[in-house]
Amino acid sequence: MLNEESKEKKIIIVENRAITRRELFERKEQFHKEQAKLPFEEKIKILVNMQKIVSGIKGDSEKTMIWKIY
Amino acid sequence: MKKTLKIINELKNKNLIDDYAIGGGIAALFYIEPFLTYDLDIFITLPSKEKEKKLIVLSPIFDYLKKKGYSWKEEHIIVEGIPVQFIPADELEEEAMNNAKTIEYEGIETKVVNPEYLIAILIRAGRKKDLEKVEKLLVQTEIDKKKLNDILHCYGLKKKFKFKL
Repeated sequence: MLNEESKEKKIIIVENRAITRRELFERKEQFHKEQAKLPFEEKIKILVNMQKIVSGIKGDSEKTMIWKIY
Repeated sequence: MKKTLKIINELKNKNLIDDYAIGGGIAALFYIEPFLTYDLDIFITLPSKEKEKKLIVLSPIFDYLKKKGYSWKEEHIIVEGIPVQFIPADELEEEAMNNAKTIEYEGIETKVVNPEYLIAILIRAGRKKDLEKVEKLLVQTEIDKKKLNDILHCYGLKKKFKFKL
């Protein structure tokens, strides 16, 4: 567990912007929540892209299923 | 997936199944951020005359799909490019199906199991990947806590539920 001081310690990110660890993790959580709100159709598109990426990495398209829906 | 759902709706219209709802990973995907999964789990109930039999016979469904040219891959049938698994609903899944949310996917009407029932089903399965989905469902979607509590209580799953509500 991080103490309060660590949570509030500033981190310098791009363009010299500073955020705290707490803000960083809050933003990450917010990002995941926004992804969860994407339309179902959009999520299915992302899923098929994920299947393609995994198949590409494994190099074994016979065993790795890619939904053939587009 | 639109074509797959059309075919599943066809099974219902032809009275080969009584009703259905999307469950499993794809139901979770409806509520949480995208993650990798491969199959489409469909909870089904059979027409009442089939229900009375002691054996669950899915062959009329598979015969119908086979005639339409769909093939098998392990325990799945590939319907319009998607591996579909038809799961005859048990008591909890049937209740989940009866309370499922009606949605439209690219203009096709379908039903998705509600998050509260989905959590109960995942808790019952209890694998690591199921519990990860429960954690995300609790954080990323609106959960009716009372409803979830009631379901967990009714199906004796309270002790297995280790999350903070």
